[in-house]
Amino acid sequence: MAELQGLGAQLSEAEQAGVEIVAISPDPNERSQKLAEGLRLGYRFVADRDLAVARRYGLVHAGGGPEGQDVPRPATVVLDREGVVRWFSVSRNFQVRPDPDDVLRAVRAL
Amino acid sequence: MTSSARLAALSVVVAIGAVAAYAFLLRVAAVRNHPEGYVVAFALATALAALAVIRAPARRWPAWLALGPSSLLLVGGAWFNFVVAQVPVTPTALRVGERPPDFTLPDAAGRQVSLADFRGKKPVVLVFYRGYW
Repeated sequence: MAELQGLGAQLSEAEQAGVEIVAISPDPNERSQKLAEGLRLGYRFVADRDLAVARRYGLVHAGGGPEGQDVPRPATVVLDREGVVRWFSVSRNFQVRPDPDDVLRAVRAL
Repeated sequence: MTSSARLAALSVVVAIGAVAAYAFLLRVAAVRNHPEGYVVAFALATALAALAVIRAPARRWPAWLALGPSSLLLVGGAWFNFVVAQVPVTPTALRVGERPPDFTLPDAAGRQVSLADFRGKKPVVLVFYRGYW
């Protein structure tokens, strides 16, 4: 959640400039909603319960969850207005998330 | 205070300091993105405690009291950072200059959200996260 908080702090102005931030995880929506309310973020949380989308993106960490279940590989992707990938970051260590400055720079470069 | 006791105290301060710094500064990207920093700090705390044990004249318990927890933190921290937290690098469907796969997923309000909804309208930042701490 630290990345979302970091992102939220800096991207709120970009949001007003019209960027859609979509946070995807297997979290059930009720939990994500609580998270969104708790963090007071303008994100759209979507639920990828069975990891179908993560799989389609090649972003599954097989057996990486605390109970040995499959979990998504943390990743951040910046798409331009045409839906084309302009920047992305996939980390090798799940404690590490892209620097919000880097994400913001990628968004501003669009 | 003997030099041994001082080293033991320093060891404790370094270990607690590392835990506190990482926990409280998690939102700072420079801290969060270098978790190996806490492993290094625990190694330092362990080294200081080991030095304290070596230098202890008679009563060694303050030194052992520092060595026990700091070496546990070092082993636990290193295990977590270099083993548990590792994410295997496998090919993804992400290519700069290409569109990623479209998807339709429900948001927290139950509305179906598609990536294609935003095409021609807004840039999108997709954040995939684990959903588990």
